[in-house]
Amino acid sequence: MRILVVEDEAVLREALRVDLTAAGHTVDVAADGEEGLYAGTEYPIDVAIIDLGLPKLSGLDLIRQLRARGKSFGVLILTARDRWQDKVEGLSAGADDYVAKPFHVAEVQARLAALLRRAGGWASPRLACGPIELDSRAQTVTVRGTAVELTSFEYRILEHLMLRAGEVLSKTELTERLYAQDFDRDSNVVEVLVGRLRRKLDPDDTLKPIETLRGRGYRLSLPRQSAPVAGTL
Amino acid sequence: MARAPRSVSRRLLFAVAVPLVLFFALTVGVLDGVFRELANVALRELLAEQVVGLVTAVDLNRDGGIDVNLLDPESRLEVPGSGLYAAVRDENGKLLWSSASLSGTGLELGMRLAVGGVDFRYQRARDGTQVAELSRGLQWVYAAGESKNLVFTAADSTEPQRRQLWRFRQQMAGWFGALVLALLATMAWMMRRALAPVRRLEQEIAAVEAGAAQGLGAAYPRELAGVTTGLNALLESERNRIARYRDTLGNLAHSLKTPLAVIRATLGTVESADTQRATIQMEIDRMAQIVEHQLKRAAAGGGATLGQASVAVLPLLSELRAAMLKVHADKDLRIDLEVPAQLGFLGDTGDILELLGNVLDNACKWCRSRIAVSAQLDEARALPQRLSIVVEDDGPGIATTDRMRVIERGVRADEHVPGHGLGLSMVRETVAIYGGRFFIDASPGLGGARVELQLPGRSIPGAVG
Repeated sequence: MRILVVEDEAVLREALRVDLTAAGHTVDVAADGEEGLYAGTEYPIDVAIIDLGLPKLSGLDLIRQLRARGKSFGVLILTARDRWQDKVEGLSAGADDYVAKPFHVAEVQARLAALLRRAGGWASPRLACGPIELDSRAQTVTVRGTAVELTSFEYRILEHLMLRAGEVLSKTELTERLYAQDFDRDSNVVEVLVGRLRRKLDPDDTLKPIETLRGRGYRLSLPRQSAPVAGTL
Repeated sequence: MARAPRSVSRRLLFAVAVPLVLFFALTVGVLDGVFRELANVALRELLAEQVVGLVTAVDLNRDGGIDVNLLDPESRLEVPGSGLYAAVRDENGKLLWSSASLSGTGLELGMRLAVGGVDFRYQRARDGTQVAELSRGLQWVYAAGESKNLVFTAADSTEPQRRQLWRFRQQMAGWFGALVLALLATMAWMMRRALAPVRRLEQEIAAVEAGAAQGLGAAYPRELAGVTTGLNALLESERNRIARYRDTLGNLAHSLKTPLAVIRATLGTVESADTQRATIQMEIDRMAQIVEHQLKRAAAGGGATLGQASVAVLPLLSELRAAMLKVHADKDLRIDLEVPAQLGFLGDTGDILELLGNVLDNACKWCRSRIAVSAQLDEARALPQRLSIVVEDDGPGIATTDRMRVIERGVRADEHVPGHGLGLSMVRETVAIYGGRFFIDASPGLGGARVELQLPGRSIPGAVG
């Protein structure tokens, strides 16, 4: 996996680089926000570790700009300011998880593994397929404007199906969205979750949003609605 | 260029004095004009009477000229330079008679004037005194069918009038001047009295600055009570903050000494390198935890102080919910919010986020899958109203003994058991800073823990759900 580390403290940056390289990853390092933006935009990064207090371009702005450029890799923030206000700000800006300083590299690695498994978790803020709308910032779902209460697993399955609407997704692929570890892969968790999703999204069985393709997986058959982009080819 | 603003009392005094002085100057001007006008009228009347007297005193003499027989030989007309003068001319302007008083004054009285004509003018005598002169052209009938056209002129010095006007002006200036001074003095005294509380405020603030007083006194007038109560609240919160910083520093210094001592002792032992490493690692973790705890404690705001805007609770909870779903992505969570949109917290945004973040994070760690957050505001009470926020989960709950330990006062950072911390002692301390209350018991609905925070709050009008 290719990991980008954006950290201005040389000792920490070096420790992360050494330990993550030893764990078998390819590591790109950046010492400030602008370098980080360049690396994050130019290289095929799978996951980024971003310190919030960066020179030149703050960590929050870096994350916002990466997301604004359509970069959907997982972002783990490092923060010395361990108040919830700072964490919530970072997560709202588009980060996926945080680790508070001082940290153990082992903890960072565990968080990274989880992030890599559900890589690509960041969708555009709003997704719409047919009458189903999903707000990834608030993690809420509405059908024809009515809010639907989903558990976070149900939400994540739906988000993945919507992100790749029209494609067939295997049970294994969907299970990977849920668990950091490999256990539970053969369970029928996905079947149960899809069943619950169908009941919640389509209680009177008229919409039929999720198709089952026997032996292959599931597909969201509603058309993906993206806002028309004017003036581009 | 910005000038320092003048003092309020000077400004007020200035604002009152300028119109007052202008008003009196205008009054004096008008009175002066009226007085001069009246004196002029009186002088003209006097001269007109003199002219009439002159007419009655005129007689035809033998050679066709005229004689003037003054009734009063002692009259001022007979005294040279007396100030009262008279003359008679014929219609062609030829001087027929002039009073004895006129001699030596250098005055040319009278003029050509048609019958029925009246002329009033001023002229100056050789000695510089001013003289007012009234002439009338009259047809003087001295026998049946016989008449002569004559011009009668009387003149009087304006000197007495001038002196009178001068005296009048002096008196007026004296009286009005005294009146203005008296009014300004009254005004200044009243302002001193009205601004006395402000000066008292100034002195009390100086006393607080000098460390001689803890806060401002009571019994200020209504207009200032808001400022003084606010200042007292600010002072109080600042004092608490400083006390907290001092405590934090003290606690930090003392609680770091133990792990440092352990590390030093460990390095001195003959234990294996691995054992030493493990011990030192453990102590470093402990020190990190201590630093983190004390920093958070010190960072908490100063409680509800003056002018604090209320923070809407629902948007914060929505943000926190999204954050929790990301952070606890390995769990199939369902977090339900049942919070009216108009609920507001009276305090710092960072503090309420920290409180709710810690409680929710704790609930996320311990629950199986369900968390319910509800909140309400006791609107019947006066400000600050009581905002109560309840977080329930379906986890194993918190044992009664642990509840006691978490709520118990004075749990210090170095007494926390690593791995067993519930993250709630921080919550207890912040709630205490806001004068709120904090309860832990069992959730009747979900079966896990139920944490209730009671905090100062208020309803935010216009917030829509």
